[in-house]
Amino acid sequence: MYAFEYIRAKSVDEALKALARADDGLLLAGGHTLIPTLKQRLASPTHVIDIGGLKELKGISVNGGTVSVGAGTPHGQVANSAEVKKAIPALADLAGHIGDPQVRNRGTIGGSIANNDPAADYPAAVVGLGATVHTNKREIAGDDFFTDMFETALGEGEIVTKVTFPQPKKAAYMKFPNPASRYAIVGVMVADTADGVRVAVTGAGPGVFRVPEMEAALAKTWSPDAVAGIAVSADDLNADIHASAEYRAHLITVMAKRAVAKAG
Amino acid sequence: MGAFVLQIPEHKLRVVAPDVGGGFGSKIHPYAEDAILVWASKKIRRPIKWTADRSESFMSDAHGRDHVSTAELALDADGKFLALKVDTTANMGAYLSTFAPCVPTYLYALLLAGVYTTPVVYCEVKAVFTHTVPVDAYRGAGRPEATYLVERIVDEAARLTGIDRAEIRRRNFIPRDAFPYQTPVVVEYDSGDYQSTLEIALKEADYDGFEARRKASADEGKLRGIGISTYIEACGIAPSAVVGSVGARAGLYESAAVRVNPTGSVSVFTGSHSHGQGHETTFAQLVSEQLGVPFDQIEIVHGDTNRIPFGMGTYGSRSLAVGGSALVKAMDKVIEKGKKIAAHIMEAAVEDIEFKDGSFTVAGTDKSMALAEISGAAYVPHNYPITELEPGLEEQAFYDPLNFTFPGGCHICEVEIDRDTGVVDIASFVAVDDVGRVINPMIVEGQVQGGIAQGIGQALYESCVYDADGQLLTGSYNDYNMPKADLIPNMRVQTHNTLCTHNPLGVKGVGEVGAIGSPPAVMNAVLDALGPLGIHHMDMPATPQKVWAAINGASMPQAAE
Repeated sequence: MYAFEYIRAKSVDEALKALARADDGLLLAGGHTLIPTLKQRLASPTHVIDIGGLKELKGISVNGGTVSVGAGTPHGQVANSAEVKKAIPALADLAGHIGDPQVRNRGTIGGSIANNDPAADYPAAVVGLGATVHTNKREIAGDDFFTDMFETALGEGEIVTKVTFPQPKKAAYMKFPNPASRYAIVGVMVADTADGVRVAVTGAGPGVFRVPEMEAALAKTWSPDAVAGIAVSADDLNADIHASAEYRAHLITVMAKRAVAKAG
Repeated sequence: MGAFVLQIPEHKLRVVAPDVGGGFGSKIHPYAEDAILVWASKKIRRPIKWTADRSESFMSDAHGRDHVSTAELALDADGKFLALKVDTTANMGAYLSTFAPCVPTYLYALLLAGVYTTPVVYCEVKAVFTHTVPVDAYRGAGRPEATYLVERIVDEAARLTGIDRAEIRRRNFIPRDAFPYQTPVVVEYDSGDYQSTLEIALKEADYDGFEARRKASADEGKLRGIGISTYIEACGIAPSAVVGSVGARAGLYESAAVRVNPTGSVSVFTGSHSHGQGHETTFAQLVSEQLGVPFDQIEIVHGDTNRIPFGMGTYGSRSLAVGGSALVKAMDKVIEKGKKIAAHIMEAAVEDIEFKDGSFTVAGTDKSMALAEISGAAYVPHNYPITELEPGLEEQAFYDPLNFTFPGGCHICEVEIDRDTGVVDIASFVAVDDVGRVINPMIVEGQVQGGIAQGIGQALYESCVYDADGQLLTGSYNDYNMPKADLIPNMRVQTHNTLCTHNPLGVKGVGEVGAIGSPPAVMNAVLDALGPLGIHHMDMPATPQKVWAAINGASMPQAAE
């Protein structure tokens, strides 16, 4: 780990000011990506600004069919929230399968989506459920938030403050985890929402993406068989020692089918 | 290393290794850091603390099990094995680690007869240098490789001849009345009962009911398979003369010192090191059993070269068979001396003194002295045969075994495979092991379970992968798939024991049996499940991707494992 200055922010405003002052500042939330990155000397910020303790970023509320999750809320709280389980069980289920208990007790939704790891689970929820990302400056539609691998629509001096999820008619998430790390090799969120059917895939490609053919088929007939015959091209999908692009493409169909069955 | 590499004489070098969280082989070997840090500390005249992080361990601790083998088995018309021919290329890594050349030779080729009467075994091993991390002993060391090869080819023979897999084994087992049995590959097995362990395991695994379970799985679109492994291993390493004859340069005895303290409590100083094996419990049981001393009066000291006698350490499932035997011999000496003291004090002939349950008794009388009274007399020798006997009650023994011990047994694994994803789920795992006399059943059960977990890891999950440039791709637990609790099934573990005939305890050793017996049981089950699809070979680990690719005829990404 290289040396850096550590600042514990007392408010979002203070964090933003510190970020503006720093030559090369980074925000620290749960730290489950940033700390290992620092330890491996893959990042060398001048300042690390800790927003992990900010109460204003934490908490879950459900209001008029919208689930609102503060950016600093750990995955474990989302997974175990009775309100989330009732309103959007698929969201609680997804959060409950991120990493392991230690990760779920520290890692946050804001940190996860701002990092936009292509194998992270939350992007599938944000896009698959048609969520809205709220920042200190604006609201960004989930579909527009994730721009490229480890890249998002967030600009300079912009912090995610909360994510709001509209309650779907039904939804479910199925993940084929990397056998070693438990990140998603393929994760598929299917949802029948007020704005139509959504199928969002994480883990398989350079970032989360939707599968319009599956969405159209499910809009016509909501059944596992409706997606069983729809193959996603392996072109541009990720490949590593655990899963070839071809295997990932195949798993998208399998997980989509199982997600539809799970959603009922 | 101290004397020959660093030029520090033994009496000037102290090594303290208190509780260590597991060893599994990789901590046996001297590493460059051990020498460099001692040298550097002397150079700068300051203490040094050094901690290896996980990445360093992945990149420089010795790896295990890297063989490429071809094997041929000849059978007669009745399915009797006639000859086994094996050709193995063994990776040593970039340079030789401590036991590297021993693992694929005398810990491997010597076990290729397995539990069978195969009269002719030929094995040629080429050890090669590559660009990988050095490859050395890892739980089982050579014996898992031998067992895997033998048990896989036996299953292949069963498939090709149409003889049932249990039956072909029965036809070839070394019968229980044939011991001692000289194999065609150097070693002589002392005891075993292979058919009984097989029959018990078959019953426990409900082998006869398997086809109904296979059908039930098929009805749900799943592939089910069952796999048998009837293995043997050689442990209690080792008779110094035998390993010397095949090229080892160390003596492999063990030492123990037993001090009966003046008030009758007992301190044991052992050259065996406990890093999770439970010596403090098992060795204390031996003392309590033989000397009749309560547990809270027994101390087991290990892992400090200033306190213990010169020993050879813990590896190759040897602590109880070799270290325990040294302890027994030292206690024999204590009892022998105690009898002389007792005879003097109770005015009887030494031959008339009996020792039982912690007391010395004059045979046929009610005259008796407790061990604590004798030890008191030994340290306060006022009424003592001082002209014939030294004061004190402390004895030391070294034990060099006459032979290896040969645990064996039968593991049966049943798997169910998800055709859509290639995921292999272990539906059941049964182990019936012959580990010789059992001193502590709970420790034996734990050792077998842990070994099986590692064997399952080898069969289904773990592998070191390098890319074409030699970069280690599995350099962290993000990519190296250690078996996690949810990947390990409930196992049904029991023993069916025959005693070792050549050590005083009759024990054989249990540290490695699980890791040796289980991988072929798992892979035989996987290939039994895939057999109907025409898939009869797969290299470990049977990862979901590999199984899926085999089912679908898809290609696997190119990377060297």
